[in-house]
Amino acid sequence: MMESGFHGCDLDDSLKCKLEESGTQNTHSVMEKAAAWFRSRSIFVVAYGTGCGAIEMPPTFTSRYDAERMGVVGVATPRQADLIILSGYLAYKTLRRVIRTYEQMQKPKYIITLGSCPINGGMYWDSYNTIKKLDDYLPVDVSVVGCMPRPEAVIDGFSLLQKRIKNGEKAGWEKYDENLDFYKKNQKRVLGNHVDPSYETDWYNLENGSEV
Amino acid sequence: MIELISKLEKLSLELVQKQDYLYKVEVKKEQLESLLLSFLNEFGYITLDSINCRDDLEEGNFVITYCLLTPKRDHVVMVQTSIERENASLPSIHTFWPQAEIMEREMHEMFGVDFPGHPTLIDFALEYWDNIPPLRRDFDTLQYVNDMNPFRGQRDDALDAKVEMKKKREAKKAAKLKAEQEAAAKAELETQNNPSQEVQNEE
Repeated sequence: MMESGFHGCDLDDSLKCKLEESGTQNTHSVMEKAAAWFRSRSIFVVAYGTGCGAIEMPPTFTSRYDAERMGVVGVATPRQADLIILSGYLAYKTLRRVIRTYEQMQKPKYIITLGSCPINGGMYWDSYNTIKKLDDYLPVDVSVVGCMPRPEAVIDGFSLLQKRIKNGEKAGWEKYDENLDFYKKNQKRVLGNHVDPSYETDWYNLENGSEV
Repeated sequence: MIELISKLEKLSLELVQKQDYLYKVEVKKEQLESLLLSFLNEFGYITLDSINCRDDLEEGNFVITYCLLTPKRDHVVMVQTSIERENASLPSIHTFWPQAEIMEREMHEMFGVDFPGHPTLIDFALEYWDNIPPLRRDFDTLQYVNDMNPFRGQRDDALDAKVEMKKKREAKKAAKLKAEQEAAAKAELETQNNPSQEVQNEE
């Protein structure tokens, strides 16, 4: 199990510090703690099958490994989901859809990636159409390594995410909100100005931070 | 097959056997459309299997191959033509075989070959591609990848493999040397002790 790290990224030092604060607790009151506990036991998943890892999801969610006993349930649409599973390499074309899907999800929202391709490109490292580091474009909460990870490893990733939610650790969507400039800059670098309209800010009509 | 050869001879074309099931006929670009049409309607090659493109960068042309099959499926005829790389364009054959539409669309995207009269010559697998078409040989894929998607740097606490391996080797060497020295010392002690033992035994 690998925590999504920002080691070695070309980040500004200030930004790096911000990102490394992820271990801090931000649940204080009893109500917040209770809400975090409940939240950790009902994770609704939209499984976005990018690449070959989608084949690991049917056994994970059906009777053989039965992720539902942990409160991890599949849903149909991103607007109902708390968690998106990205299970393999991401082409530019897929990334565009994934960004749109992620921005449609309600907060709090989390990302789990499966396999080595979202971490470093995997065997598609020299493809003209595939991204290497997904955490440059979207905030990844848990990366399950392996090529492909077995359902046991996927479930281990779920339990790690549940532990983090229960402890009230800073999640990816908060980092995304705070460092939106960084993420949008990277998205624009590979996708050009053809990123779909954001649901969070009016980035579509912004140029260098000011309205055109 | 003999029929086909005689029919092609009338059009002054030659059918070459490449393998026991594979035949090739080379044709000029101007003659291509009419030949493909007669393959479909007269010779009975009702299936278009694939359209392939080869980039001959040194000779400055694309070699396009149409693979055709009869309902018997016992052999393949490749109709081959070569066109210039600059402003490459071919007649669209989507009216003969409907599946050619998507094959031509892919070739347009990957090699930049134009098909006048094609109904849907839009993005296929890529989106908003504004570079050289990626399967052309003058497109430097590695350069493009390194520019667009640089590798992830190493971790902050990563160790240098060379230094670590050198340390390991030196430690191994030192351990081996120490073991040898100990063995030598032991042997020396034994040789010192042995004569006295022998003396004792004799007594």
